Amino acid sequence: MSILEVHDLKKVYTSRFGTQKVEALRRVNFSVERGEYVAVMGESGSGKTTLLNLLAALDKPTSGKVILDGVDTATLPEKNVAAFRRDQLGFVFQDFNLLDTFTLEDNIYLPLVLAGKNYAEMSARLKPLAEELGIAQLLKKYPYEVSGGQKQRAAAARALITEPKLLLADEPTGALDSRATDELLSLFAEVNRRGQTIVMVTHSVKAASHATRVLFIRDGEVYHQLYRGSDTNEQLYQKISDTLTVLATGGDAR
Amino acid sequence: MKRGFYFRLAIDGMRKNRKLYLPYLLTCAGVVMMFYIISSLAHSPIMNTMRGGGNVAMILNLGTIVMALFALLFLFYTNSFLIRRRNKEFGLYNILGMNKSNISRILVWEVLLSACFALVAGIAAGLLFEKLAELFLLRATGETAGYTLTIETSSIIAAFIFFGAIFALLLVASLARVRLSKPLDLLKSEAAGEKPPKANWVLAVIGAILLGAAYYLAVTIKEPLSAISLFFLAVLMVIVASYLLFIAGSVAMCRLLQKKKGYYYKPRHFVSVSSMAFRMKRNGAGLASICILATMVLVMISSTSCLYFGGEDSVRSACPYDLIFNVEYASPHACAAADGEAAAAAIEKAASGCAEGLVSYMEYSLTGVFEDSAISADKMARRVDITSSPMEIEKLRTIIAVPLSDYNRLAGKNIVLEPGEALVWSSGEAYPYGTIGVKNTPMLRVQGILTELPFKLSMYDTILTTYLVFVPDWEAYTGQLSAYLTSLGEDAISSAPARCCGFDLPGADAEEQLEIAARTYEAITDANGFCDEPQAFLYCGYSAYADSRSDFFSLNGSLFFLGIVLSIVFIAAAALIIYYKQLSEGYEDKSRFSIMQKVGMTKREIKSAVNSQVLTVFFAPLLLAGVHLVFAFPFVRNMIRIFGVFNTRLLIATNVACFLAFALFYVFVYRGTARAYYGIVSGGEERQ
Ligand SMILES: Nc1ncnc2c1ncn2[C@@H]1O[C@H](COP(=O)(O)OP(=O)(O)O)[C@@H](O)[C@H]1O
Ligand SMILES: [Mg+2]
Repeated sequence: MSILEVHDLKKVYTSRFGTQKVEALRRVNFSVERGEYVAVMGESGSGKTTLLNLLAALDKPTSGKVILDGVDTATLPEKNVAAFRRDQLGFVFQDFNLLDTFTLEDNIYLPLVLAGKNYAEMSARLKPLAEELGIAQLLKKYPYEVSGGQKQRAAAARALITEPKLLLADEPTGALDSRATDELLSLFAEVNRRGQTIVMVTHSVKAASHATRVLFIRDGEVYHQLYRGSDTNEQLYQKISDTLTVLATGGDAR
Repeated sequence: MKRGFYFRLAIDGMRKNRKLYLPYLLTCAGVVMMFYIISSLAHSPIMNTMRGGGNVAMILNLGTIVMALFALLFLFYTNSFLIRRRNKEFGLYNILGMNKSNISRILVWEVLLSACFALVAGIAAGLLFEKLAELFLLRATGETAGYTLTIETSSIIAAFIFFGAIFALLLVASLARVRLSKPLDLLKSEAAGEKPPKANWVLAVIGAILLGAAYYLAVTIKEPLSAISLFFLAVLMVIVASYLLFIAGSVAMCRLLQKKKGYYYKPRHFVSVSSMAFRMKRNGAGLASICILATMVLVMISSTSCLYFGGEDSVRSACPYDLIFNVEYASPHACAAADGEAAAAAIEKAASGCAEGLVSYMEYSLTGVFEDSAISADKMARRVDITSSPMEIEKLRTIIAVPLSDYNRLAGKNIVLEPGEALVWSSGEAYPYGTIGVKNTPMLRVQGILTELPFKLSMYDTILTTYLVFVPDWEAYTGQLSAYLTSLGEDAISSAPARCCGFDLPGADAEEQLEIAARTYEAITDANGFCDEPQAFLYCGYSAYADSRSDFFSLNGSLFFLGIVLSIVFIAAAALIIYYKQLSEGYEDKSRFSIMQKVGMTKREIKSAVNSQVLTVFFAPLLLAGVHLVFAFPFVRNMIRIFGVFNTRLLIATNVACFLAFALFYVFVYRGTARAYYGIVSGGEERQ
């Protein structure tokens, strides 16, 4: 059974006085199976962030449905949405979104504190996770004291510590240098191997080449997808590049 | 041309940041206005015409110093907000190729412009309010005659010099910051790159100690007028301590709370404690300012309203009878020989039957240092003692000898004593000794302690602890005392035997009462105090309730009014700070709260975090102001005693009432700004 189903998702942004309308998503359909690692690719402005915000119920679709583990997120009452997001989803952002007033440790605890967990349980959960992410020594530091890659790993820890059904990532490598990018991507691959479902939006071919499936969106629609099958990262990278070239030279997959 | 360029950049910068600059400029102008109002009221010619104006002027002068210190701390605080915002822009200019001296020029223009605006607008507003205040004051006191509208140039000059210096300091501080920093730091200075503040325990402890010392000073001051500079020292210490406590103490406190895991890792506390720890260092100054303004308002309003509302009461205790006559004679013998009956008859006649409850008795009063049940009549001893230590004043006592027969007559009793014996009444604690008297004269044995008197004393008679001594052989005993005093010559404390007559005039209005007073006065002086030997009559004095009352209300009415004017000004300043603080913090917190929302914080959780934070931030200053108020209480009580109000219970009541009223006002401001703040932090994301 799919963990995530997206049906005819449409999002139109209206400016404050209703004078301008931007159709960010037109008709998006796809589904994600448990344990999959899906990359959503598209150019800047193609609606990737919009899509992710809708998946995370941070925003409401104009029409269409997002069904997460059998629950239509649009039907959730407002006050349950946040708790739902906190308990079921993990989120990694391009610009980290760590709170500068918290140490890395407290940043990671934030969703658990909100869920009312006690300190003993939180620290028991954090210990192995921090070891795995290589940030065990940095926990007492503040965001401004660590590098971008380290911040992003802390952000990943914050997303993973709730053991979410679905990990959402928006250009997670966008602000990282290439070494930090590699580290984060292999980290995502590793947690995916252990069963974590991941949906990552990106415009980086390299990032996408770590996924098990790649969706391409353009003009507010999913117009193509690639399965990894038994390809290596390099082979998948090549396929993605080729697809993008066809796209750029005006080819239309449909 | 070049000059115009930097000028325009400065103007542009200010316009672009007007959301921040406008409140800043208003705040600066407001501070200048407060300074000017206080300073010019202190020098206002009104203070010369107003009764008690000298004291008020002195208090206002010291208030100017307090205001100056406050202005310095407060402007540095508001300016620091601004600089952090502006630094980003400067960093950009720097990277775009403007060097630091160019940037400095822009800064110079900005500060110059702000200073000009603040001074001109502040003094203009100050002039307006101060003149309005003066006019109202004159109305209240009814002394419009001879008033000319003058402008206090000395206060204007003082404001220009003082605030010119402050703005120069602000400029130096900002320039130094630009000079010392790297362009990238400037760019980032507003963003996330801020260091978390360390708990500065040293400053926190110093603050606590200063506060303790100031409280001790304030509580131990006994004589408000002689120690007024000491009290203002305490005030300055309280101000500095409040700033230290809010800036350093609060961070230290938050760090302690963060160590308590069970407390800290709760949804309610987690966010607010950590963000408070983070920002208290800067915002502590704002809170301290609020706290101090609140304290000033509370002290002023509660004391002046106590003076005002305590008026009736206090005039009554100063003047227990509608009219009191004091006829003084050269000797006890003359006093005793004078015809008391005739005096009473004269009063009845002058009052044409309105007089009621006439009491009449003879008294002989002495004030001196009291030790071991005796007063020393030696003036020198007393003077030396008082000047060598103000605490000696505690030893001063008044002894008033009254004939036992007068007591028996007025109280309707029939007590018989032997010569050398006495009944004693004390205005303070019960009389503790077995004897009483004057040093070097025969002592009286205390035969009984009275707890009630058959007549009322004016509170001015009992400012010092007073012992009334009822003796059977008044003429002989006081004759002895008087002979002893004469033998001391120049060194003797003064005293005079007198007949006191007090009575009420329930049917007469103020004017009639004063007419009756004049008639009675004439009758008594014309008859030489009903004395056989004309030269033994010294003088006849009287106090009229009607007179004291109008005096009292003209003085205390204007004080009350002054208190209200200053309070309005201070309250406006406090509201401005609160608003300024909430808005600027709202913009800072916006991104934080949007992150929290993304991480899964419900709107309700955000709201409760906001509430718990805003609540703490808001009510901490109010709470500390309340504590300050409590410790200022003994001083304020002594102070209003000088103005003739002795009603401590009323003072407590006005303190409590003012605190509650202020808290109510505060809650309104709180709700308004909390809503604005919540609107900002939970509002839609701005697209960059
Ligand atoms: N809050 C918004 N209001 C109006 N238009 C928006 C808003 N968010 C995104 N858009 C528009 O929707 C389109 C898609 O944006 P986005 O999802 O951020 O793209 P991507 O993340 O792929 O770069 C863009 O044209 C953008 O301008
Ligand atoms: Mg995006």
